[in-house]
Amino acid sequence: MDQRLEALLQTIQKVLPDVDGIIGLKVNAAGHIAPHLFRKEAPAELDGLAIWPKYPTPDTLRLIQKAHPGAKLGMVVRGCEERGVVEMFKHAQVDLSNISLIGLQCTREEAEFCRCAKPYTAHAKLTVGEPIEGVPDPVTEGFLAKTREERLEYWKEQLVRCIKCYGCRNVCPQCFCNVCALEDEKWVGTGWLPMPLPPMYHLVRSMHMTAKCVACRECEEVCPADIPMAIQYRLIAGDVKEMFGYETGVSMDEKPPQLLVLAEGEFERTGLPH
Amino acid sequence: MPEPKIIGFLCNWCSYRGADTAGMARLKYPPNVKIVRVPCSGRVSPELVLRTFREGADGVMVLGCHIGDCHYSTGNHRAAKRMPVLKKVLEYSGIDPERLCVNWVSAAEGERFAKIITDFTETIRALPPLTEEMTWTKG
Ligand code: SF4
Ligand code: SF4
Ligand code: FES
Repeated sequence: MDQRLEALLQTIQKVLPDVDGIIGLKVNAAGHIAPHLFRKEAPAELDGLAIWPKYPTPDTLRLIQKAHPGAKLGMVVRGCEERGVVEMFKHAQVDLSNISLIGLQCTREEAEFCRCAKPYTAHAKLTVGEPIEGVPDPVTEGFLAKTREERLEYWKEQLVRCIKCYGCRNVCPQCFCNVCALEDEKWVGTGWLPMPLPPMYHLVRSMHMTAKCVACRECEEVCPADIPMAIQYRLIAGDVKEMFGYETGVSMDEKPPQLLVLAEGEFERTGLPH
Repeated sequence: MPEPKIIGFLCNWCSYRGADTAGMARLKYPPNVKIVRVPCSGRVSPELVLRTFREGADGVMVLGCHIGDCHYSTGNHRAAKRMPVLKKVLEYSGIDPERLCVNWVSAAEGERFAKIITDFTETIRALPPLTEEMTWTKG
């Protein structure tokens, strides 16, 4: 057995007696990986414990808490999933007072697969694996080197394949609104393929991921058309940091810019006239 | 080149009155901007700006009260937070962010209004029509 998986199993077994269940990943009968609630009543299920491919579990926590508000739970989180629950917490989507996070540190190989800048957890008290530094993101860097005209061409080449399946929205741990602007005919029309330009679906989605995207890249992973849309979210995250000093999913109590009234001196950084 | 189409969202309490002041003083400025009066610059959502481009505008303006003077106290903070990000979204999408103008004009600033309109119209004139850029590449 993989060393990290072995260590994770041991940690889960240690935590399990004190909680109602632990959210993790399990291989199902078809050999697919899916989120699972491991319980002490069914210890044999731990035989199916899995860690890769990753799967976005923050929404699993949200749904379980909706049905069982007071449940005392453990949850296995990678860095991106931890940022996901932190951000959900700040938007009042989950309650973390009864949750023990078990941090699973990503390997270099995994981080490279995700082009991840933060492949480690920061809040989990229990952790498994050795944390490593972030890795470069050559795709985003390559994009950034393009001129405006080349960027436009690039997105035309990419987005012509989009079938507007909403997979990227559905998988996203930060897309929890009850009413979604992407389903509003006023903003995103229906009935055309490829979608008319400018690409409203993608422009609105980029805007709505501002200060929310936790860079898990599940959207790119799930996309049947291989569209690298998280390039935009990543670049905007950098701008949000510069303009508002905010980093998504990092601190538990720092207010997201959506909720901020800008203070004196903060307008300058937005580049607007003042 | 056809004349550029520009839509200006002007807040009722400052910028729209600034336009009035410019008109009353008979200041000359290009007629390209079609004005839409809104209660506050904070009313102008990014979706609204994007849809305006989608409908064929070559440029969009969002003009509000100076920071600190908003009729709803912090309505223009919303604009000041969202619009710079929207400019970035445009930039990363290959759409010239210069096509979106965000600025502040008080009721008394007729001249400032005329100048902002003139400058922005010139900026947009220098760009190709947006509809020309917004076509799928053949092939
Ligand atoms: S997952 Fe891909 S194909 Fe589906 S809507 Fe998103 S970008 Fe388009
Ligand atoms: S990377 Fe994609 S799926 Fe993950 S939080 Fe950002 S937008 Fe959502
Ligand atoms: S009322 Fe003018 S910007 Fe809010």
